[in-house]
Amino acid sequence: MKFSEQVDAPIEANLRRRVAGGFILATLMTVLLGFLSWRSAQLAADDADWVAHTYTVMDAIELMSRHVAAAESSARTFSMTGQDSWLTQYETASSTVAQDEDALRSLTADNPNQQRRLDVLEAQVRSALKLAETIVAKRSQLHAAPGASEVLQIERLMNVVLVAGQEMRAEEVQLLSRRTQKTKAGRRFTGFVIVVGIFVGAGLLALARLAINHELDVSAQGREELKISNASLEQRVEQRTTALQSEITERRQAEDAANESLATSEAALKDLADQKFALDQHAIVAVTDVQGTITYVNDKFCAISQYSEDELIGQNHRILNSGHHPKEFFQQMYHIIANGGVWHGEIQNRTKDGSIYWVDTTIVPFIGADGKPQQYVAIRADVTERKLAEKEIQELNDDLELRVAERTAQLETANKELEAFSYSVSHDLRAPLRHIGGFSKLLVEEFGSSLDPNAKHYVERIQSGTQKMGVLVDELLNLARVGRHALSLQPTRLNSIVAEVIAILQPDSQGRQIEWAIADLPAVECDPVLVKQVFQNLLSNALKFTRPRADADGSARTGTPAPTLHAVIEVSHKEEVGQSVFMVRDNGVGFSMKYVDKLFGVFQRLHSAEEFEGTGIGLVTVQRIVQKHGGRVWAEAVPGKGATFYFTLGVEKQVESKSSGATAGGQS
Amino acid sequence: MNSGDLDILLVEDNQDDMDLALHALKREKLANRIFVARDGEEALDFLFCRGAFAQRSFEHPPKLVLLDLKLPKVDGMEVLKQIKSDPRTKTIPIVIMTSSKEERDLVSGYNLGANSYIQKPVDFDQFRETVKSVGLYWLVINQPAPVSGVRELAAARP
Repeated sequence: MKFSEQVDAPIEANLRRRVAGGFILATLMTVLLGFLSWRSAQLAADDADWVAHTYTVMDAIELMSRHVAAAESSARTFSMTGQDSWLTQYETASSTVAQDEDALRSLTADNPNQQRRLDVLEAQVRSALKLAETIVAKRSQLHAAPGASEVLQIERLMNVVLVAGQEMRAEEVQLLSRRTQKTKAGRRFTGFVIVVGIFVGAGLLALARLAINHELDVSAQGREELKISNASLEQRVEQRTTALQSEITERRQAEDAANESLATSEAALKDLADQKFALDQHAIVAVTDVQGTITYVNDKFCAISQYSEDELIGQNHRILNSGHHPKEFFQQMYHIIANGGVWHGEIQNRTKDGSIYWVDTTIVPFIGADGKPQQYVAIRADVTERKLAEKEIQELNDDLELRVAERTAQLETANKELEAFSYSVSHDLRAPLRHIGGFSKLLVEEFGSSLDPNAKHYVERIQSGTQKMGVLVDELLNLARVGRHALSLQPTRLNSIVAEVIAILQPDSQGRQIEWAIADLPAVECDPVLVKQVFQNLLSNALKFTRPRADADGSARTGTPAPTLHAVIEVSHKEEVGQSVFMVRDNGVGFSMKYVDKLFGVFQRLHSAEEFEGTGIGLVTVQRIVQKHGGRVWAEAVPGKGATFYFTLGVEKQVESKSSGATAGGQS
Repeated sequence: MNSGDLDILLVEDNQDDMDLALHALKREKLANRIFVARDGEEALDFLFCRGAFAQRSFEHPPKLVLLDLKLPKVDGMEVLKQIKSDPRTKTIPIVIMTSSKEERDLVSGYNLGANSYIQKPVDFDQFRETVKSVGLYWLVINQPAPVSGVRELAAARP
């Protein structure tokens, strides 16, 4: 709306100016035409007046001329006749001439030329009349008739008077003609002006019509625009109306909601009151302002702190501090709650009489409209008994830990002693063995020729003894090492270990017919160095105890069992109760299950040293290693048929068996 | 080769072990130019040319040091450490020859720069074999570091 106003204003002003200009011009034209018409009529009237005036003047001249002529003729007649009637006539006529002169003078007052002529005429008239009087007087007094010269003179005078009168008349007629001509020219100009005025008026009207038409067009366009603008306005009004209506609806809904929420609020307030009651029944509740000044406490708070409500309200909450917590404890707490966070923790407080109590505390800041805490609500539970119990437990734990530390130290000392022992065994025990062996060897080598065969035999027994002792020492040291060895678990392909061990044992199986039956074994999480020792001991045992089986050439070394069967050593595994059980089976001499309990004891042997050499430490080492892995080892055997050793490496040590497939390919 | 040249420095406190080792070396003709130090201190004095060995020169180091670990006064590991941390002696081959094959000894021995680690076998034949192999390898097969290089290293030392 404002926009179109701005656009229309100059157009309208322009239009107004043009219309006003047109009207002023038309009015001026009309006034001019009227004035010219009036002027024309005026001129016509003047014209008629002047014609009448001219005729009056001419009449007056005529009259005076006639009266002069009458006076002269009557005077002349009297002079000749002496009849008195002429004298009367003469006297009447001459007196009338004076009147006529006056009348004429006033009639021609406006014309100086006529006045001058009138002066001449009057003088001539007076001359003529004087002459007439002279002859009249002569007659009357002398009774003499006029001379001829007098008559001639008078006649001449009379002619002059007549001519002067005629001149005056001619002057008047000429004047009239000039005036009439001037009037006619005025009338023509007026007529011309009127005609031009009519045309100009018509032209102006035509222009006005054009202008009005144009303005009508413009206004029609304006109306159209107005219509469009009105339509848009109406649309906007409609939109606004719709908006207002929806606003009103919303407000109404909001009002409804507010009413509803008021009802809800009332219900909530009741709920809140109920909950507060419930809370007060259970918890120790206090409210403080942001400075920590207590503004509310419930009965339980008063009961536990031993202060009355009056003693607490208005006091800073510090009144209850026991001094147990460091300054930083409360600084941290205030930092959290002052930033709108909820703090939870256990606080030791002091009652009015100085005794100590513990409260499990939750502090909730109530946030105001400005986003800052307005007050803090602390909800607490008495946990004094629990804290005391905890303290007792803590003391017991501390005591226990102390004892564990002591025991550990003792064990560590013992372990160190053991280590030092085995270290010195490995050094100091082997050295004399070497010396005995070395020197006895030199004895045989350098003095063998001078030795009695028996002496030689004894020296050999000494050497053999030192060698056995050397092995024994080494195995014992190994067992000790296994005990100390820290497990280094890694995913291990057992088939590779088995293959490695078989290669190591190659010298022992030299020249024997042995069937190795190695199944695909899974990869497991274990210490490969130790597990290798397990297989080395078990497979070495299997080799040893299958020695009575047929040799490569088919003959048996000992009588039992049936020499026709060759040695079969089997390594396999099975899944049992979620864990892998590994098996090493042989078809050797076996053993009686009667002695199975002794199998894993140190230095325990089920066979004589003559039959099968050994120290009785190998299986102990196996057991030690398996147990270190969290597994167990056991054996089954039938005398003369063979033995099977089983072991596991702990339930959760097994790696996904996906790598066992890869192992399978490399196994023969 | 002058009179200062030496093949083997045997560091051994135990008379029995020393006798057996010398016996084995002699049999292999490896004991012609050998010196036996009876404790760690003597071994260090010998190698660093000081004390009773002040007349010795760094220019004539032994071709091989056979070092026991359990030694009086200064133990074998300390001897090893000092030899291997001094530019004048660090190129001398040190073979630890001891009764023990304790893991901790092996680890610290190699960490300190031992060139080899041998456990003395209980069996005397095996012992002789071992001594023979070691002697042949270090005295015959192995090419020792040039002495001039050692001298330069020693000169470079502040």
